[in-house]
Amino acid sequence: MSRAPAADVLVIGAGAAGAAICKRLSDKGARVTCLEQGDWVDRARMPKAHVDWEVRGRRFWAANPNVRRWSADYPVSSEGQDPVDVYMYNAVGGSQIGFAGNYWRMAPSDFRVHSLDGVGADWPMTYEELAPYYTINEAEVGVAGLAGDPCGPQREPLPNPPAPIGRPGELLVDAYEKLGWYWWPTEQAITTNAYRGRPACDHRGWCTFGCPQGSLSTADLTYWPGAVKNGVDLRTHARVREIVLSPEGRALGARYYDAEGVIQEARAAVTVIACGGLGTPRLLLLSPSAAHPNGLANSSGLVGKNLMVHVQSFASGLFDEPVDGWRGTWGGTVSTRQFYETDPARDYVRGFIMSGCPGWSALNLALQLAPWGSGHHKAFDERINHEISLYMCGEDLPEETNRVELDWSQLDDFGMPGVRTHHELNDNSRRLGRDMIAHAHRVLEAAGAKSVRDFGLAPIWGWHLLGTARMGTDADTSVTDAFNQAHDVPALFIADSSSMPTSAGVNPSHTIQALALRCADHIWDRRRDWSIAG
Amino acid sequence: MAYDRKQGQHQVAQSSRPDYRLVVGRAEVPVGAPRTFVVLDPERAAILRAWTATLIPAVGKRPDAGSAGAAEYIDATVHLVPSIRPALLHGIDEVDRLAREIKGRGFVECSADECEQVLRQFQSADDTDAFNMVSDFTYEAYYGHPQVLAAIEAETGWRGLGPMGGGKPIEPFDASLLERVRKLPPRYRAVEAGKSVKA
Repeated sequence: MSRAPAADVLVIGAGAAGAAICKRLSDKGARVTCLEQGDWVDRARMPKAHVDWEVRGRRFWAANPNVRRWSADYPVSSEGQDPVDVYMYNAVGGSQIGFAGNYWRMAPSDFRVHSLDGVGADWPMTYEELAPYYTINEAEVGVAGLAGDPCGPQREPLPNPPAPIGRPGELLVDAYEKLGWYWWPTEQAITTNAYRGRPACDHRGWCTFGCPQGSLSTADLTYWPGAVKNGVDLRTHARVREIVLSPEGRALGARYYDAEGVIQEARAAVTVIACGGLGTPRLLLLSPSAAHPNGLANSSGLVGKNLMVHVQSFASGLFDEPVDGWRGTWGGTVSTRQFYETDPARDYVRGFIMSGCPGWSALNLALQLAPWGSGHHKAFDERINHEISLYMCGEDLPEETNRVELDWSQLDDFGMPGVRTHHELNDNSRRLGRDMIAHAHRVLEAAGAKSVRDFGLAPIWGWHLLGTARMGTDADTSVTDAFNQAHDVPALFIADSSSMPTSAGVNPSHTIQALALRCADHIWDRRRDWSIAG
Repeated sequence: MAYDRKQGQHQVAQSSRPDYRLVVGRAEVPVGAPRTFVVLDPERAAILRAWTATLIPAVGKRPDAGSAGAAEYIDATVHLVPSIRPALLHGIDEVDRLAREIKGRGFVECSADECEQVLRQFQSADDTDAFNMVSDFTYEAYYGHPQVLAAIEAETGWRGLGPMGGGKPIEPFDASLLERVRKLPPRYRAVEAGKSVKA
């Protein structure tokens, strides 16, 4: 086993959070090593680089790792009344490489869920404390949007203009105007103008199938080029087996299998785990010791607990007119936060957003509802290019029974366990979900749809895997402190989607990266505590 | 497979369940590429071609799935994933056996209506998942085929031809649409900015 010269900071995971931390710290002069179990994405292999992109999206690019089975993937089983259909990628850029680019700031009330609504938990920070990092992240990523939304605090102009909303967006705007509701163009991590060496989006659509030209702002394109230029030592195909501690219990680094399956060790003054909502608890639970018999940093017993996934659904409206839904960003058009804040008149607390999307692509539409046989084309032709969809995302409250555990019955290619998720929507989430879907029907009907169909609440669309190593101020009720440092382990930080104490009701990517930037600044500001030069 | 949910029937892809939906993940089979049969013998290949043509028949400029190469695509897939060959071979043999039992002739000799009747009977009793497997693969082969996508664009206006370079310009967002919303009062709960509280 070789031990490379120690870095200042070791980051485990090169996804949305890990990339932001590596870039931020290396900008300041820190020597950073990053271990990533996956590889760089070959843009030539992205589905959207090919005619049969929808088919490739179901095989090589499948969002569920159990289907895709890249060498870096580990098995995931899903249990519970509302099992999670897990969608995640293990690669440089992490799960962002398959995301749609919806990019939201959380609201001030999202940081005070327990204080305001008596459920969930408060965050150990305020919106105002995180806001500067949202702004930094928006510049790094090149977010497209428009400042001035009355559904959030005032803020600086965004780096890029909002994406065109197309006919689907126009129909939704008409609906919101009829209903008298709030709406706003959706903010997206997409370069609508040429930005920092990346081209302007040219409206190919279906962004989750990969953006070969690189206008979709995934972390492999936003943070990593700068981080590599700064000298960050990014080691791909590095499968971390365990965190290494000193006899005194301080984090020293990690042991990992390299591309040849040979054990290696990387050491640093500070270790940051950024492996996502499943990968982070997996690694912590894989690192028990005499001092940490139930897994590392787990004196609270909350590592792997409080898995949140958002209450999500889609509704699709059928229109007489062609809607040209194949053009433009898929996660774009316009959104509403009309029902985002708790309303005592409703039978649940917390809220949801609705974002307009074009309709469905041909293969997915056919698989959804075109029966085989003589009636096939009639059903298909009625809806292709005549549907628009609303994506709905509502807050899923933390429950300790919703969890991630090691699954020793299914091992990855290196003999390490997979994970088992267990999830059930609580009563509040079910009521919220029913109301959310009912309101989506209202919007689409107001837009002129002659019929509306929806996808219900289960199985869970598992794009957002949150809360499994949450931050807080009390070591009994959280895994890390307000700056992502593990309560139990000096020099160990956990900064990714697992850090979120509550889910809010918006796509989490922006918040994950803002938290990561804030964590990086804290590590740097306290560098003398870790004996980091600078 | 995130977006293909048949409402009320969607199953989560589990790592522990033997399932064609899982094992094909590593089988990259470019749609529309010229290929011949490598697993199926000519007799079974003909039956599978007729089967796929029944699932998605021709209409307008769109060919039937058999003519679009769906059977060859399925054959190429099972070539890469031997574990699902038994289900396919069993399914083909059973469809032909049913045709002979019900219609008195082999499946490939049946009319389009007869083929549909045979397949519906096979589907209703299929406990091997072979019918669903052939159906899903046929849909993939059909809706990934450039000839089919070009015909769909010509006949419906929906453009799905990848790689879709040079997407057509769209009018930029018209910010004047926000005139009413801009005048509305703030719609978020102001929270007193203060020190962190106990979680």
